Amino acid sequence: MPEVRRLLPESTCRSDPASPARFTERGWDRAMERALSMDPDEIIADVKASGIKGRGGAAFPTGVKWESVKKALGDMRYVVMNADESELGTFKDRALLQQDPLGALVGVLIAAHAVDAQKAYCYIRGEYRQAEGRLKDALGTLRQLGWVGPNGVDIEIRRGAGAYIAGEETALLNSIEGKRAEPRVKPPFPTNQGLWGRPTLIQNVETLANVAVLLAHDVNWFKEYGSSDTSGTKLIGLSGHVRRPGVYEVPFGYPLANLLNDSDLGGGVAGSQRLGAILIGGAAGTFLSSDEINDSVLDYASLARYGANIGSGALMVFDDTVDLRWVLRKLARFFSDESCGQCVPCRIGTRRVLELIEHGGLTTRQDDLRELSQAMRDASICGLGQTAPVALLSLLDRPDLIQG
Amino acid sequence: MHTEQAAINVRVSALLEDLPKERSQLLPALWRVFEEYWLLEPEMIEAISNAMGVPYAEVYGVASFYALFDNPEGCRPIYVCTDVMCALRGSEDLLKSGQVGAKGTPVSIKGAPCLGYCDEAPALFDGKVTKTQVTQDALAQLIRGEKHA
Ligand SMILES: Cc1cc2nc3c(=O)[nH]c(=O)nc-3n(C[C@H](O)[C@H](O)[C@H](O)COP(=O)(O)O)c2cc1C
Ligand code: SF4
Repeated sequence: MPEVRRLLPESTCRSDPASPARFTERGWDRAMERALSMDPDEIIADVKASGIKGRGGAAFPTGVKWESVKKALGDMRYVVMNADESELGTFKDRALLQQDPLGALVGVLIAAHAVDAQKAYCYIRGEYRQAEGRLKDALGTLRQLGWVGPNGVDIEIRRGAGAYIAGEETALLNSIEGKRAEPRVKPPFPTNQGLWGRPTLIQNVETLANVAVLLAHDVNWFKEYGSSDTSGTKLIGLSGHVRRPGVYEVPFGYPLANLLNDSDLGGGVAGSQRLGAILIGGAAGTFLSSDEINDSVLDYASLARYGANIGSGALMVFDDTVDLRWVLRKLARFFSDESCGQCVPCRIGTRRVLELIEHGGLTTRQDDLRELSQAMRDASICGLGQTAPVALLSLLDRPDLIQG
Repeated sequence: MHTEQAAINVRVSALLEDLPKERSQLLPALWRVFEEYWLLEPEMIEAISNAMGVPYAEVYGVASFYALFDNPEGCRPIYVCTDVMCALRGSEDLLKSGQVGAKGTPVSIKGAPCLGYCDEAPALFDGKVTKTQVTQDALAQLIRGEKHA
């Protein structure tokens, strides 16, 4: 089956990605008119019925989150689009924003209408200037068309400044408030107490784009693609040893091997042309062997059998010449550099893991590494520290993938 | 020193003139000043603190949190991604050759975590835009271009 194009624009779309012409070409006028004609509760019911799950990593049901924000008490509500995308190996939100910035913004406006928010922020990582430019132009178009402005929802773009942890939802809130981007202890959750203590809806770029295509059509149309467990399509950032690295949109349930090999997707393994392993989900992802890849489809339950997750949609491909211990060292350094240092298990743990790996601990100190990982999982405040050891553990569990 | 601080105060308050003087505008304020000087020294922090009405220690605390503001040499920074996918495509050598080539120029070449361009590796961020599939020649040109700028 060829690549699907719903979140990404059809290749026949020739209009400027941020232009009013694109707005109509993509059906966003229809989406906006439909949304505004609907009661907020009807929209939330549709988002629930569509089965959309968060695309930022945690796969939390989106409609359920909207309902919590809508029900939470507060004199003011906010919507935040999370475009921080600094997870290692992840670049699908960048591609989406560059190719079709209006979609995600339309998602923001629909969300604001549904949860009764007056103000929204788009938080984009500081290195994504081209995407930021597109977003700014798209916002200009929405102002010009009257969808954004003083009488409706106000949207502000915020630029990050080089901190992976700022993508964690509560750290992101602190960053917008003008504080250090350190995660907050949860609960309270942002749905109840987010920006300035007010109910706040935070969604990933791709999640919001899904909402836009849903409202431009309907629930049945939306569910035409996907698996029985997870409806819709997913953007995958495919990189490394494949012939055609890039961002591809495929339905949930798509066989992983086809993702790598189909001629209009990965196009086959490059490098030595012999597959070594993939790392799926990002820096806190899971290494899978080629047998496991051949036995898996792109869906949460299928991957869970191997302890893996779709995560941020990163799929890094390594041929059989890559020393995965080297990859692991890079991941460990990433976490150690990016830990915000607020809690001890993560601050010390990420550094200790790096030291152990650098000194051959992958073979000689496996028990210590496992124990340390457990402590980090149990006692870290946020997802960074809790999941930093995931890739490491996945490799310890697959000794065949470690060379000599 | 005194007159220097006064000059910086004037420049910074002009840069921040149209920003609402709210704590939540601190990050945008830091960006504006940083892109003017490629530097956030105590004098600039002081000026931002005055202009925004946020205590010095708070401004410093926020500025020092973010990696992109960490540029004490004040040279225009060029960040070469040294993470997994770019490293697989030779970015560590690219970084080294850049660092050698940039000696004595007003540019500083730094390693950076994943820049989010793994499909077009190796990537760099020159402080304003990202460039992809960068070769050593392209980086050398970029460094030379900055010299004439
Ligand atoms: C360390 C860390 C970094 C994260 N970075 C991002 C990010 O860049 N983008 C994103 O959408 N979610 C990121 N998340 C997940 C967010 O906390 C949050 O779950 C997500 O934005 C919710 O949106 P969704 O439900 O649409 O996925 C990160 C989480 C952690 C722990
Ligand atoms: S787990 Fe790590 S990144 Fe998260 S709050 Fe603790 S120190 Fe910071």
